[in-house]
Amino acid sequence: MILRADAVRKRFDERTVLAGASLTLAPGEVVLLSGANGSGKTTFARILATLLPPDDGEVLLDDEPVGERRRAARRAIGFATHQPLLYSGLTPVENLEFFGRLAGIAGAHAPIPALLERFGLTAFAHVPLATFSRGMLQRVALSRALLNDPSFLILDEPYAGLDTEGVSALNAILGEGRERGTATLLVGHDHDRAAAVTTRRVHLERGRIEPS
Amino acid sequence: MTFLTVARKDLMLYVRDARFLATLGLFSAALVLILSVAFGPIFRDPPLEAAATIWAALFFAGVLGLSRSQDLEAESGGSDALRLTGADPFALYLGKTLANILLLSAVFLLLLPLTAVFFDVGSLKALPALLCVVGLALVGYSAWGTLFAALARGLQARELLLSVLLFPSLVPLWIGAVKLTHALWDGGTIEPVRDWIKVMAVMDILGLALAGWLFESIQEAAE
Repeated sequence: MILRADAVRKRFDERTVLAGASLTLAPGEVVLLSGANGSGKTTFARILATLLPPDDGEVLLDDEPVGERRRAARRAIGFATHQPLLYSGLTPVENLEFFGRLAGIAGAHAPIPALLERFGLTAFAHVPLATFSRGMLQRVALSRALLNDPSFLILDEPYAGLDTEGVSALNAILGEGRERGTATLLVGHDHDRAAAVTTRRVHLERGRIEPS
Repeated sequence: MTFLTVARKDLMLYVRDARFLATLGLFSAALVLILSVAFGPIFRDPPLEAAATIWAALFFAGVLGLSRSQDLEAESGGSDALRLTGADPFALYLGKTLANILLLSAVFLLLLPLTAVFFDVGSLKALPALLCVVGLALVGYSAWGTLFAALARGLQARELLLSVLLFPSLVPLWIGAVKLTHALWDGGTIEPVRDWIKVMAVMDILGLALAGWLFESIQEAAE
């Protein structure tokens, strides 16, 4: 499967954030998208993840507009962003079970212990997230994004809050995904941390995406 | 069953939020107490005053519950996390509606003995019929309320907006609930006011149908 943003434009009030941004994510690619603060990286990631509609241009999944099969597209995409998108009153296991069931993953329990172990969270599996640090929340958020073994991973600032072990765990998972054909978009400035897994770098500037 | 999964999650979060439960319980009980003092000490028509009191308390307690229901999603990034699962939006709506119905049922069970004591009304014989009335009223209230709460999510003064939207929409439902409760507590027969059952059922179906039609658009447009 190929996920493609084609000449995407987005304005917020009078400010043009994206002015024809295009990007193709092919199987096995790990693309690092960088850009200055406020350049529109998160907006672009949200549009690619089908969470935000573009004003113009379109996002295509295998050459079909995602708007026409949005629910199927969302099940093929794993997304993590600044916000953990988790319930602080639930434990990691309860959160992952909940999102797994909604995503229709057969045997939603199955990948949860493995994901928590890889991110070093087994000892905290049954502790409510309200007591977690930023880094621990990020690990659970990444587990949620990986839960459905997605064909596309869109990770906005995935290294934020992660310690050395967390970065190693994430890079190992991204490397394995790359081998299996998962297409990944990493958004952020962590060139050094992402260097081990990145296959291509692009830069968002003045609303357009250019090779860097 | 997606809607059961969502309802279970919301109920777990309610149960673990002691501050919210305490606020909801104390607020609704205080309303019953205040209204019983306002109507008393010598009641002119205890069944009518008791019916009006319990449904007024449930209405305002419900606004708190509906707001909290949407706050739970706001705290976890709006509805992004739910939308990313690709789950059927109407099933998500039904799950939240069911959780609100169960929450308000618990509030009703708290208020019922208080109202019975303060106004000296009610009988065990009327209880099964009363529970049917409560079911009809809470399905409609939660169906419309969950829809409006999704509409008001993220806005300032959303509790006020929710009340403003809900009150006129639910007037037929609430009048029906008060009249049927009054009839049950006054003598045990609902024959003179039985048409209100049809009105309430129509309101329930309308609320659910409207949500089936609009909820996905509201959910997508809210971001």
